[in-house]
Amino acid sequence: MQDDKEITGRVPMTCEEFVLACPEVRSAPADGALRQAVLEHARQCPPCAALQASLQTLQDDLRYLGLETRQAEAPARVQMRVMQEFRNRHRTEKRRRFVWIGAWGLAAAATVVATVSWTTWRHEKGLSAWPGGLAQAVAMSPANAPTVKSAANGLVIEDTLVASSASGDFTLLPGSTPLPMEDATVIRVQMQRGALGALGFTVNEERASDVIQVDLLVGDDGLPQAVRLPGTSQ
Amino acid sequence: MPIDRDERDDVLLSRSAKGDQGAFELLYRRHEGPLYRFALRMTGHRWAAEEVVQEVFMTVIREPKKFDPTRGTLGGFLYGVTRNRVMKHLERTSRDLPLGERTDDGFSPETLTSKEMTPVEWAELHERRAQVRAAVLELPVEFREAIVLCELEEMSYEEAANALSCPVGTIRSRLHRGRALLLAKLEMLREVPRKANAGR
Repeated sequence: MQDDKEITGRVPMTCEEFVLACPEVRSAPADGALRQAVLEHARQCPPCAALQASLQTLQDDLRYLGLETRQAEAPARVQMRVMQEFRNRHRTEKRRRFVWIGAWGLAAAATVVATVSWTTWRHEKGLSAWPGGLAQAVAMSPANAPTVKSAANGLVIEDTLVASSASGDFTLLPGSTPLPMEDATVIRVQMQRGALGALGFTVNEERASDVIQVDLLVGDDGLPQAVRLPGTSQ
Repeated sequence: MPIDRDERDDVLLSRSAKGDQGAFELLYRRHEGPLYRFALRMTGHRWAAEEVVQEVFMTVIREPKKFDPTRGTLGGFLYGVTRNRVMKHLERTSRDLPLGERTDDGFSPETLTSKEMTPVEWAELHERRAQVRAAVLELPVEFREAIVLCELEEMSYEEAANALSCPVGTIRSRLHRGRALLLAKLEMLREVPRKANAGR
């Protein structure tokens, strides 16, 4: 569509320009030059004058049509329904949030209880695995232990290498199967308590650096099968 | 008059999304009138306009995050939703264009006649306006929207362009073509009785 200024800049106005400008004049009556040009053209051109009259009538009718519904508003029942939906929605959301928080709280509590129970159970199981209790085993002084010398095939306690036939005090390492005692060798070694963790035992981490004596029941394949804290078995 | 920051549309919407009923009520009162009138003038039925407005505000309740303040005003967004609902309604229902007096469409012909008229003049005026109403409802939707917003709701081109999310030039050309179509339709409607009378 042509710009109003462009239209007003050309005199006299053509019929095409008149068709475009005519409604604009009604919409923007402040534009005096454009209005003047439209009126001038309508005076000289009867078909355009008739068109202008028709448009005038149409716009009046449309204006009245607008007036008919100017005050129209949605009935109160619409507001009532919408507000009801709003309340329901937010009440439901609140309830859902409460249930959600409750469910997660319960789940968290259950997890804590399960963890504590499992830890306690593991702790108690660990204590029962050591005859006389882990505390006693831990209490053994490394100063009383025999000296350990390094050998080519590992740590060996020379003067305390024992061949014990009593396997009852040993605790099998996780994943090991009981061996016939005649195929096994007992080796006493000194190690840090933390190393027991590598063998699959639960270790008190605060005292993981303590050096303790351990009897290892070694199979004929050279791998440890079971352990014993010597101070507690004798 | 500038709106207080706390009563800006986006602030009210965000408050109502958090469950503030007062904020939602204020939003509803601010926007329901124009949206209802738009829907009423587009569909020609009060019940349809009610349904549309209700659905629009249900959308605001259920999906407040659909409105993105960076993409325009809430008013424009609501017009967009209303427009979609109106389109769905128009697609769903068959055209119903009674030319006589309508008692259930939200229009009140009584308001038309402010001056003294003879019964014949009143009947002619009433008939002509019924024809205009019918012709508006028969317009293709895009032209009808422009006519409804600019002529009936008396919005500026810029406001109408914002409501319909289109350039101002599009509004101008749709209005121009809409008016031309209306004139042609009205001419046709007025020709029919004239020819019928001439045939007698």
